[in-house]
Amino acid sequence: MDKIAVEGLSVEYEDRNGAFLALEDVTFQVREGEFLSIVGPSGCGKSTLLGVLQGLRQPTSGRALLNGQPITTAGADRAAVFQHYSLFPWMTARGNITFAVSQAKRGSSRRERERIANRFLQEVGLKGFGNKYPFQLSGGMQQRVAIARALAMDADVLLMDEPFGAIDVKNRAAMQELLLSLWEGEPGSGRKTVVFVTHDIDEAIFLSDRILMIAGRPGRVVKEVTTPYPRPRVHEEIVGGSAYFQLRSQLVSLFLDDVRDRIGGEEVVL
Amino acid sequence: MKRLLTIPNGLFVVLALVQLLPGRNTRVPDSPAHAIALACVLEAVLLVVTYRFKGVKRRAAFNVCSDVIGFLFGFLIFWTLAAAKLPSAAGSKGAVFPPPGAVIRALVSDVPATLKNIVDSLGLIFQGYLLALAVAIPLGLLLGWHARAGAAASYISKFLSSISPIVYIPYAIVLLPTFRAASVFVIFVASFWPALAGTMSGVLNVERRILDSARSLGARQTTMLFRIVLPASLPQIFIGCNQGLSVSFVLLTSAEMIGARSGMGYNVNNFANFGNYTRVLAGVLVIGIVVTAITFCFNRLQGFLLRWRQ
Repeated sequence: MDKIAVEGLSVEYEDRNGAFLALEDVTFQVREGEFLSIVGPSGCGKSTLLGVLQGLRQPTSGRALLNGQPITTAGADRAAVFQHYSLFPWMTARGNITFAVSQAKRGSSRRERERIANRFLQEVGLKGFGNKYPFQLSGGMQQRVAIARALAMDADVLLMDEPFGAIDVKNRAAMQELLLSLWEGEPGSGRKTVVFVTHDIDEAIFLSDRILMIAGRPGRVVKEVTTPYPRPRVHEEIVGGSAYFQLRSQLVSLFLDDVRDRIGGEEVVL
Repeated sequence: MKRLLTIPNGLFVVLALVQLLPGRNTRVPDSPAHAIALACVLEAVLLVVTYRFKGVKRRAAFNVCSDVIGFLFGFLIFWTLAAAKLPSAAGSKGAVFPPPGAVIRALVSDVPATLKNIVDSLGLIFQGYLLALAVAIPLGLLLGWHARAGAAASYISKFLSSISPIVYIPYAIVLLPTFRAASVFVIFVASFWPALAGTMSGVLNVERRILDSARSLGARQTTMLFRIVLPASLPQIFIGCNQGLSVSFVLLTSAEMIGARSGMGYNVNNFANFGNYTRVLAGVLVIGIVVTAITFCFNRLQGFLLRWRQ
């Protein structure tokens, strides 16, 4: 069964210049346990789409379903990681995680929450940093705490909005592998269903089972590709193969077409 | 030895010598011995700080102490000269400008009464102030959180806060059961508006990503208000509370005019009515010292509660 289904979704924004359409007639499904990336140039509406899945934004027409039920509000059944560090600055790294767990698992004991927090801090390599406040951590460490927080909530669905966008290239590769190892290593049958928004094509190819390309204004789905690589994945085995280049150049050309269209369009307007 | 050749130490010597000049203030009996004693106490503090505060971290603390004490010496020299030693001290003006020695003597002889005044005033201020915070902070949270109410409330509160609480005094006396309640009310009004305005602006300025982040965790309304919005607005709440505290002390004298028979503000006002300016200045000094001490404690509390900020 589809974990997430988006059907004919359109989202309209109001701003100073009046209403404009951010997404138009977007339809796709995400299977249970699938890692889906949504790629597109900035401004194509991909973050808006994730906002709808998070329940923070309402569709203008069409609908988004989770387990067959329309998404109307935000909830702890979907864990989110945002691009900009969304940790609560007045809570320690451990406090951020225990707070999220207390929201996701109401009625859990303090000891249990502490235990879960410590486990996930260790898994993201921040064992000794539980008592640090966010401002005492680097950007990459904060984002690791945000991932630990999302995983600790133990939701079936993980919604990630360019979580590594503000991290330098070297650390980004390490973070991607960390994310995959945590996701692939989920015990038992259930891997989480992941929707991962990014503008980085290499990141999407490396991480995902399937890639959805959104482009244009308003944003529409322009391409859908499935990646052929087995798991577990490491960068060295994937990057550089001929299949990789083919896939990549296909997506990059779509990406560039869209950017050229837009620059051209703006010239006409000027 | 080299460490002692500083401007504050030089000023200490000058201050001591200045006290020995013949006095010209005929209206208020001076007491150079008291001024010298105070100078010695300050100098002792300076010496302790000089020899105990070492290392990079405590260097800043030493600099502050040394600068403040140096300033006090300079100020006391000026005061002594103007109020007791120069021709300006002669004549009828001398009654309004008592020299520092006389003020210190008055302070020393009045210690028990002063302590009682401090306790009474602080009781009044904390009652009014804490009551104001207890109402203003929850109300500000609610008004700011409901954006529409917040917009209206910010205009209304701007209008009301521009009215001096002194205007309310007759109404407070008529409506409230005791004079003391009326005094508390003045302090309450004085600190209420800044605390409310600070809280509301704090709530209205909570970053969107913080709110989205909390919503995505599925936080409910009360959790949202008390575990997210309240701590996120705490820096601005503190700004408002700080302002409220300052205004409370400014209005202490007015509040204690209503019906009090003791207190720091009452004390100053009372001696001003009798033309005893030595004790007026002594009372003003006491208020200044108490306010500084309370501000210091308040800042420590703020530093602790906001330790999560850079």
